Amino acid sequence: MAVVAEPTRRGRRSGPQARREARIGLLFVLPCFLLFLAFRFGPGVAGVLMSLTDYSLTGGGHFVGVDNFTRLWADPLFWQALKVTVLYTVIAVPGTLIASVALALITRRAFRGAKFFRSVFFLPVVTSLVLAATVFVWIFSTGGPWSTMVGWLGMSQSSWLSDDVLVLPALAIVGIWSRFGYGMLILLARMQDIPRELEEAALTDGAGPWQRFRYIVLPQLKPALFFLAVIETTASFQVFDAVYTMTGGGPANGSYTLVFQLYDAGFKYFDLGYASAIGVALFVLTVVVAVLQRLVIGKDQ
Amino acid sequence: MTAAPVETPADVSAGGTSGAPQKVDLRAARRAERRLRKAADRDTVPHGMRATPVGRVARTLLLTVAALVTIFPFYAMVVLSLKPSAAVDFPGSLLPWPLTGEAYHAVMSAQDVPRWLLNTLIYSVVSVVGVLLLAALAGYAFAKKRFPGREAMFWSFLSMVMVPYHVTMIPTFAMIAKLGGVDTYWGLIIPTLANAQAVFLMRQFIMGLPDELFEAARLDGCSEWQIFYRIVLPLLKPILATLGVFVFLWHWNDFLWPLVIGQSTDMRTLTVGIASLQQQNVPLNVVLSGSVIAFVPIFAAYMVGQRYFTEGVTASGIKG
Repeated sequence: MAVVAEPTRRGRRSGPQARREARIGLLFVLPCFLLFLAFRFGPGVAGVLMSLTDYSLTGGGHFVGVDNFTRLWADPLFWQALKVTVLYTVIAVPGTLIASVALALITRRAFRGAKFFRSVFFLPVVTSLVLAATVFVWIFSTGGPWSTMVGWLGMSQSSWLSDDVLVLPALAIVGIWSRFGYGMLILLARMQDIPRELEEAALTDGAGPWQRFRYIVLPQLKPALFFLAVIETTASFQVFDAVYTMTGGGPANGSYTLVFQLYDAGFKYFDLGYASAIGVALFVLTVVVAVLQRLVIGKDQ
Repeated sequence: MTAAPVETPADVSAGGTSGAPQKVDLRAARRAERRLRKAADRDTVPHGMRATPVGRVARTLLLTVAALVTIFPFYAMVVLSLKPSAAVDFPGSLLPWPLTGEAYHAVMSAQDVPRWLLNTLIYSVVSVVGVLLLAALAGYAFAKKRFPGREAMFWSFLSMVMVPYHVTMIPTFAMIAKLGGVDTYWGLIIPTLANAQAVFLMRQFIMGLPDELFEAARLDGCSEWQIFYRIVLPLLKPILATLGVFVFLWHWNDFLWPLVIGQSTDMRTLTVGIASLQQQNVPLNVVLSGSVIAFVPIFAAYMVGQRYFTEGVTASGIKG
C-alpha cells in the first residue's frame, strides 16, 4: 500500500478547492434533498400539525387543539381498530419469526437444492399482497382448500373470512406466508457468521441438537431476531393491502385495522385532520412498541 | 445495519518474493485448492453435526412440503385463471384440465387492464430511473464530498425511515390535490422519488470505493460531472442492478398511494385495478388472469435479480 499519499489526502483542506468540493456536494444532494423536504419532512411535520386541525378537502383547516384526539379516544371504532391491529400483530409476528427460524435452520447448511428452496421461500416476499389476496380469498372460501382442510380436523367448513373472529388468523396466515422468506434470509446471513467452533465444543460436551440450538445458535441470533421483531411489528401495524382486498375491514369490523381506519377517515370521508390524528397514534404506538421490544429482547446489546 | 459487500483490492498483494519464475498452471492449482478445501470442510464438520441419511431424507421431505405450501397459491392462481368460469369449485378445479384462455381474452379486451398495465409500467420505470439517479448523486455526495450540513442532512434522511409512511401520506395527498396532481402521472410519481433507503444504500456502497480513482480522474482533468458520469456510475453497476430490481418491485406492487391518487378508472395501476375487480362481481377466473398478468413481470424481475436479492437483503435489511 502506498502509505505516503495517506496523510495529505485525509488532511483538512481549505481554500478554493474545498469550496468547489462543497459546492459540488451540495449541488449533487440538492435534488434529492428538495424532494425530501417537499414530500417527507414537510409532510411529516404537517401531519402532526394537521392532526390539530379540522382540515378536510371540502373546507375547514381551523386549529382545533386536541379535539381530534379526544374524539379518537371516544371513538369505539378506533378502539376496535387498535384491538384488531394488536391482535393481528400478536398472531402474525411470532408466526413469521418461528417459520423464519425453522426454515433458516433447515436450509442453513449447504446441500443440493438449498438455493432452489431458498428462492422458492422468498418468492412470496416480492409478490404483491393484492395479487396474492385474490387467490387467498378463494383458498379461504367456503368449500375451498383451507375450509376443506380444517373440515378434516372437525372444524366448521364455513369461510374464515366471513367469521369476525377467525378472519384475523386467516389474514395472519397470508401475512406469514408473505413475510417468512425475508426473515429466513436475514437469519441465514447471521447464521453464516456463527463460529463453528462454538457448536463443535458443545457437541464434544455432549449437547444434542436442541441444546446446541437453545444455548449456542439462539443467543447468537438475538440481534438479528431483535431487528426482525421490530421490522415485522412495524409491518404488521401497517397491514392494509390484504385487508382492503380480502375483507374490506369486515365482517362486523373484525379486520378493521388502524391503517384501514386512517384510509376510511381520510379518503372516504375526506376528514384529513382526523386521519392525521390516527396517523400520529400509529406513530406513537410504533415507537412505544419498538422501545418495549428493545427493553425486553435487546437488553444486553 | 452492515455495509453493503464491497470488493476490496486487498488481495492484489500477490507479489512473489522468490526470484525464480515458476510455471504454474493457475487453473489447475485453484481447482486442487478448492478440492482440498472441500475435503477439509467435510472432515472438520464433526460427525454429530453432519446430516445422517435419515436426517437428509427428513430435511428434503420437510422442505418439499414447505415449498409446496408456499407455491400452492401461485399454482392455484395460474390454473384457476385458465379455467372456464364454471369450473372453479374445489378440489376438481385444481386439476389442470380443461384449460382455456378465455379469461385472459376477456380481461385484455376490456379496455381497463391494458391501460392499467401501461400506468403501472410508467410508474415503475420512471420511478426506477428517477430514484436511482437521485440516490446515486446524493449517495456520492454524502460518501465522498465534504459540504456544510452534510451530517445533519444525512441523519434527517435516515430518521424519516422511522416515521410511518401513513403520517406523511395525508399531507402529501392534500398538497398534491391542491396542486391539481390527482389523477396525473406526475402526482403519482414525483412524491415517491424521495427514497431514503436508496440514498442510504448508495452511500454505503460508494464509501467502499477507493478515493484514488476519483483523484486520478481529477488529475487527468475530468470535470466533476464527468467523474460522476464516467467513473462513479459504471462502478455502481452492481448496486444499481440490486436497487433497480427492488425499486421496480416496490412500485409495481405499490398499493395505497396509487389507490388514493388515481381516482378515475383510467389512472389506476394494476394492483389498484385488480383490487377493484376483486370487489365487483367479476368472475374469479377473470380476476385471477389479471393477477397472473401482473405477476409475470414480478416473476421476471425476481428471476433476473435473484442473485442480487440474497446479497441485497442481507447486506442492508432492505424492506421487502
